[in-house]
Amino acid sequence: MSLVPAARLQDVTKRIGNRTIIDRVSLEVYPGEVFGFLGPNGSGKTTTIRMMVGLMSLTSGDIAIGGHSVKTHYAEAAAQVGAIVENPEMYKYLTGYENLVHYARMNPSVTRERIDEVIKLVGLEGRIHDKVKKYSLGMRQRLGVAQAVMHRPKLLILDEPTNGLDPAGIRELRDYLRQLAREEGTSVFVSSHLLSEMELMCDRVAILQKGQIIDIRSIRGAETQTSLEQIALFEVDHPQNALGVLEGRGDARIEDGLLAISATRDQIAETNRRLVEAGIRVYGIRAKTKSLEDQFLEVTGGETIG
Amino acid sequence: MANFWKLVQNENMKIYRRIRAWIMLGFVVFVPVLISAIYIIASGDNDANNWEMMKLETTILYQLITIFTVVKAADSVAGEFSTGTIKLLLIRPWSRSMILLSKFVALLLFALLQMALCFVVTWGLNAALFGISSDSSAVIPAFSPVAGDSVWVYIGLLYLYLFIAQVMILSVAFMLSAAFRSGGLAIGLSIFVLLSGSFITGMLSLTEKPWVKYVLFANVDLTSYLSGSTPLPEQNMTLGFSLAVLAGYFIVFNLVSWLVFVRRDVAA
Repeated sequence: MSLVPAARLQDVTKRIGNRTIIDRVSLEVYPGEVFGFLGPNGSGKTTTIRMMVGLMSLTSGDIAIGGHSVKTHYAEAAAQVGAIVENPEMYKYLTGYENLVHYARMNPSVTRERIDEVIKLVGLEGRIHDKVKKYSLGMRQRLGVAQAVMHRPKLLILDEPTNGLDPAGIRELRDYLRQLAREEGTSVFVSSHLLSEMELMCDRVAILQKGQIIDIRSIRGAETQTSLEQIALFEVDHPQNALGVLEGRGDARIEDGLLAISATRDQIAETNRRLVEAGIRVYGIRAKTKSLEDQFLEVTGGETIG
Repeated sequence: MANFWKLVQNENMKIYRRIRAWIMLGFVVFVPVLISAIYIIASGDNDANNWEMMKLETTILYQLITIFTVVKAADSVAGEFSTGTIKLLLIRPWSRSMILLSKFVALLLFALLQMALCFVVTWGLNAALFGISSDSSAVIPAFSPVAGDSVWVYIGLLYLYLFIAQVMILSVAFMLSAAFRSGGLAIGLSIFVLLSGSFITGMLSLTEKPWVKYVLFANVDLTSYLSGSTPLPEQNMTLGFSLAVLAGYFIVFNLVSWLVFVRRDVAA
């Protein structure tokens, strides 16, 4: 694994007219990491991605892919990137195979064998010689993934990749992305507004609102922190009695017929012991973790349009 | 740097893998057959001069070929924008200049192929139907600079001049396609240039203002030089002058296509 970040955005700014679409966005995507780019519609996710792949120019700042600036060394930067920008729009009058040959011709590293390999990888062997216009959305999405990964890019950029996929397809894509990151060291930069999806897929997420990054956080790290207080919900036979048992705890309360306390892992176990000793029957305990969605709504103030 | 020819190969694939390209080529074969057949039916005999028929069919077919080329040129850039495929095309390790150039080259080849097909069909068909006439003076106008030369010289120059005009109109269509990203507009305006050229030249010839000889329309039809006249009789024009003016327009049109295509953000 190299020390050069797969992608580095430095004070990336995009102004159109006098509207600032993207405002000093800086972030780094490390090798082998799945990085989520989260934001409500209109927050500038797609614009940022378009700048990363050279479809849009930067007003100021710079983007380096594997150390190559997209402004000054575009071909070198682009050679390391595979991407689907919005929907994977293919040439509908060509077959799936011809589409892949088309993109393979533009990238000298892709051999015929490699094309066959990625076709198998995305499971399109049976239909690859059909015209793309006969494909379902899910099949087009697979073809999109095939063209994005066939030159073994160091950085895979996917804009809203789960759009139009059924739950099985989403799960498959998620597993595949994690596998790419783990086994080939490919960095994945994925944008989405499907927050729960990002939670399952990403190592870190950046939250974008109105063209500004308001938070970058690690997802997998947070789960393992044992000293963190969380809200625990106890399913008990007599919530009111239980509340009496926990007289000493000021924060104990009843939520939807469940006893709720804020506590660390140890305190939860301790509370459970006290309840059982007091003759309260405990049917279940679960942590009410704040989902990314809650956190997201918290930081963005629940706005939907940036 | 990979092979530029592969980009042209891609563009060729996008042209010829569509049925419409083959319908167009079918018309290039069919129209001369139709004209010759109509002649035979209408006149009741088959003693026409094969060169005369070839020239007639070529000048008619030229317009059709230009329209076909314009349709493909309009689709080449604007079509990729309207279907969204431009995004996956431009994120490859190639500069936009090279991608644009590959498109232009593929269109030139498409125009050239049609002209070659036109040549083969109009010559072969009419030679087969009417025999090969040795009377070339019937085809070459008396005042033509190549009067007295072989008929092949005349036909060769005719094709060359028509092809140059076609490249000019192709450049207009390509520019409009790249600049406005609207295929319809590119097709409409370039066909206007093609069809209204002689009409506008006629209007321009009414004035003796010196600037009119620099107008595109007055220079695009080089075949008038081949018949021994000039596009605007009142103006002091030569073939070399017209070629220079066309070269100027060619550079401007393609410079505009290139600047717009390379600079503009792909946002839609």
